[in-house]
Amino acid sequence: MNKPLNMYTSLTNRRSFIKKMAIMSAMTAAASMFPGILFADEQERNLPKSGNLDWKKAPCRFCGVGCGVLVGIEAGKAVAVKGDPKSPVNKGLCCVKGYHSVLALYGKDRLTKPLVKKNGKYVETSMEEALDLVASKMKETIKDHGKDAVSIYGSGQWTIPDGYAASKLFKGCIGTNNVEANARLCMASAVTGFLTSFGIDEPMGCYEDIDHADVFVLWGNNMAEMHPVLFSRLLDQRLKRGVKIIDFATRTTRTSMAADKSILFLPQTDLAVANAICYEIINNGWANKSFYEKHCNFKKGLTNMGYGLEDNYAFKDKPEAISFEDYKAFLEDYTPEKVEKISGVSAKDIKYMAAYYGDPNKKVMSLWCMGMNQHSRGTWINNLVYNIHLLTGKISTPGNSPFSLTGQPSACGTVREVGTLTHKLPHGVVMNKAHREFAAKIWDVPVENIPAKPTYHTVEMFRALDRGDIRFMWIQVTNPMVTMPKLKRYRDGAKKEGRFIVVSDIYPTPTTDIADVILPSAMWIEREGLFGNSERRTQHFEQMVEPPGEAMSDTWQLVEVAKRMGYEKQFYYNEDSHVEEIYTEYRRHHDNKKHNMAPLEVLKSQPGAMWPYVDGKSTKWRFNAKYDPACSNGEDFHFYGKPDGKAIIWQRPYEPAAEEPDTEYPYWLNTGRVVEHWHTGSMTRRIPVLHKAMPHAYVELNPGDAKRLQIRTGDKVKLTTRRGEIILPASINQRGVPAPMQVFVPFFDENMLINDITLDSFCPISKEPDYKKCAVKVEKV
Amino acid sequence: MPIKSYLAHPHEGKKAHLIEALKSLEYCEVIPAENKDLLIVVTDTHTREQEDHLKEKIESIASLKLLAMVSGFNTK
Amino acid sequence: MKKRLGIISLFVLLFLAFILVWNFSYQTGREEAYVPIENITSISLIPSETGVFERSEYAFDYVNMPVDENHQRSLETYYDNRAFHGAPPSIPHFVEDERNMGGKACLKCHEHGGFVEKFQAYSPVTPHPEMVNCRQCHVPQQTNSLFKGTNFHKVDAPEVGVNNALQGSPPVVPHQIQMHENCLSCHAGPSAPKEIRVTHPERVNCRQCHVSNNKEMTDIGVFKRTNQDEAY
Repeated sequence: MNKPLNMYTSLTNRRSFIKKMAIMSAMTAAASMFPGILFADEQERNLPKSGNLDWKKAPCRFCGVGCGVLVGIEAGKAVAVKGDPKSPVNKGLCCVKGYHSVLALYGKDRLTKPLVKKNGKYVETSMEEALDLVASKMKETIKDHGKDAVSIYGSGQWTIPDGYAASKLFKGCIGTNNVEANARLCMASAVTGFLTSFGIDEPMGCYEDIDHADVFVLWGNNMAEMHPVLFSRLLDQRLKRGVKIIDFATRTTRTSMAADKSILFLPQTDLAVANAICYEIINNGWANKSFYEKHCNFKKGLTNMGYGLEDNYAFKDKPEAISFEDYKAFLEDYTPEKVEKISGVSAKDIKYMAAYYGDPNKKVMSLWCMGMNQHSRGTWINNLVYNIHLLTGKISTPGNSPFSLTGQPSACGTVREVGTLTHKLPHGVVMNKAHREFAAKIWDVPVENIPAKPTYHTVEMFRALDRGDIRFMWIQVTNPMVTMPKLKRYRDGAKKEGRFIVVSDIYPTPTTDIADVILPSAMWIEREGLFGNSERRTQHFEQMVEPPGEAMSDTWQLVEVAKRMGYEKQFYYNEDSHVEEIYTEYRRHHDNKKHNMAPLEVLKSQPGAMWPYVDGKSTKWRFNAKYDPACSNGEDFHFYGKPDGKAIIWQRPYEPAAEEPDTEYPYWLNTGRVVEHWHTGSMTRRIPVLHKAMPHAYVELNPGDAKRLQIRTGDKVKLTTRRGEIILPASINQRGVPAPMQVFVPFFDENMLINDITLDSFCPISKEPDYKKCAVKVEKV
Repeated sequence: MPIKSYLAHPHEGKKAHLIEALKSLEYCEVIPAENKDLLIVVTDTHTREQEDHLKEKIESIASLKLLAMVSGFNTK
Repeated sequence: MKKRLGIISLFVLLFLAFILVWNFSYQTGREEAYVPIENITSISLIPSETGVFERSEYAFDYVNMPVDENHQRSLETYYDNRAFHGAPPSIPHFVEDERNMGGKACLKCHEHGGFVEKFQAYSPVTPHPEMVNCRQCHVPQQTNSLFKGTNFHKVDAPEVGVNNALQGSPPVVPHQIQMHENCLSCHAGPSAPKEIRVTHPERVNCRQCHVSNNKEMTDIGVFKRTNQDEAY
């Protein structure tokens, strides 16, 4: 410290110092009598003023867990981070990314000035000029090629105001449904899972379920690395209450090592295993008859849906009511013994899991993330896990919780709640006339502006760019040139003549490489914003530091362009107060008991609130009349997302993946993340401690396969699929161990783009690509 | 001019009452624990007499089960 | 005979009643897969006060430990593997099992410390051994290179010997204590940096004399007494 004695400036009064001493000794005495006693507020209030850090609260910038962090500010710079002990999400703990998150602001190559491509070279320009260019180019494209030739592509890293401004500008003002987000690649199956089973998006439970559940089943979810803070809460419960953790996965990971039981299944066969669990539950009489008879309907949909590999692929499900007897008959194909043959999971292990789900005295929480969502039958597997919880009635009560985790800080808050997907509106969908009218009224636009037909989902949007149906694309806060499956096609497409790409980002990435205009963005605490996490918790953060150079928040970039395009009336916001104005306007879309959002003053004063926020209270368990004021049928439970108040148990069969290993490409290729890096690593790789811990990507092989191929750790390995080839260093028996004849590659490394060779098959219902499964050939170089 | 700190234990369920009662006294500051039935009481009086008088008043509060002194200072 | 019949019918009755009651409770147990939850009123936070006494049972061992002058750590290098003071330190040595989240593998050395021949050093003692997913926060370093440079400003860590009010008065705690509430783990024993090793570890109630000095929330300025208007 530079000024060593300045902490005593406020202590001129000796009496008050003595008084503090007296309080401190009383507190210590109390602490020795009652370990764990808290005097939090009082204690902090009485501390002498120090010249060091100012701590301000924010949700973490990275994953969808939404930990509360306190950011230490000194002389206008963010210099330190610690967990917010008042946050009910993380209770004071962070992961390595969170603790070092502020370093992501200070990479040497931050974009600070707009860059415009002129004759193949990027030229610095002013923000005014760059925004003029974006607006005029957008107008020109609309004039020449129509409204549906312009598009915006964002992500779950958009703050709520960012996504709201984007949706209002494109859907409301310009009049195109070309609004998509990276969340399509990440959460879409979870959304369609919720909508098909319950008719309303997002989990019914919350993180507090962890404190009540007795058994945790992780469905293809490496929580120890991907949601470490929540996993620590599981471990904490195991220490305190001896809960059971079951890791159900295709690969052996840190989670498997930490779990009480690790069960491996063959890729895609989770569908069969989930059905087998339901078979066991019904066959053993463990089903909660009074629950499913009162609160559930049984339905089936179309099968053999295909995989969306061809351009302009379309699919529409045709749900059909069935009886419980029909459903029971369907499950006859999924006895544990039959499923053992498909899945490689022993009948004993299937029965083991089913017994936990079936035991009326065990509270079970199922957790999943990308394993179930990035799945060519993603919607189905989401449905199937809900089936288990609905059949046993283990849902919407503390500790009984099917819980879909998210990967991005505001995938729920922005993409799913604001609705920045082609078919969505902040409240409802574009296909519904009443919903369009409602949105148009709040947006102050003619209702005819909002088209009734959805246009392109993400994969199809990039295909349209390749084909030339889309000519202008504005990409904000995401990095599709690392994350798109079958990347080469979409990169070549984006570079074609006559396409105009605007990229708003904070660092140069492979996506800024394809840009015609690069806009420097203000990130996270360099601006004010709001995120919404996986447990429906909306959290606010204030601006704490100045953005570098001319960097501007994504919200304000959109507002500036909207004004230039002649929408001053709709974008009436003031620069100083626009976040508050936008949020207040946005809240009107959700002004009902089922989705009410907490007012901004509340969010500023506490570490977030969970919607539906009714009568000054967060709702912890939806659909349960005890906790959820929106329940109105007079029963204990009310699944009010569906018109008849009943959830749906879906009959969904097992179907194979789009591309399975064969003699030419004999291995499964799986992709994913590591604990050190988040998403495409454009932020975390610029944090020295994280980069040094995990400097590059690798390919994990099973030790048996490696031995046969004579590959050792560090050897160069060539992976070849029908899309192309890539060379990676091998990793054997290190972070993870894939099952025999499977390989795993993390996708964060822009120098080793694994997505160049992945397959762009997707779930026909959610349109979310399956990054976890394609066939690959493995050779030593 | 004595300053003393005490731990005060309320009778069961009477924590709120005790806090209120103590707060209404002069020269007396209360810091309740958030998660336990325990309060810290700090008295800051001008003279010994005041101090004794205050202590009597505190001890006469009905919701107080036990009062234990932790530290005492006297500044002159 | 009558008596015997009476006894038999009594037992039959009792048995039937038992079956009835047992069946009923079994059925209800199955029907309602719902166990009422007692209302949990306060969230169990990581308490800011508990850690302080954690290692106090070893206090007298600490007192009697001879100082190993040749293998002392010093503050000069203490902050080298921390991005800022208070950040989780990175792991400066090779880690055997990448697939292990930590737990016993780390705690066997870092729970109680001890001399490690291989590194010619005493292993530092963790202040939070109850948190077993070590590697969610502590990562080893595989390379010295950077992906891109950084302009992050590393604030100076607090200095020693400048934070007491009067000559000889107890210094205040100049750093954050969250996650390292347990004073003795870093301030006592052979792995403690020599500058901050406490001379009196046996007086375990550290925070009786050493108050913390970090502005967690908004400052309220000079303390003002309330209730002044009340009549005496």
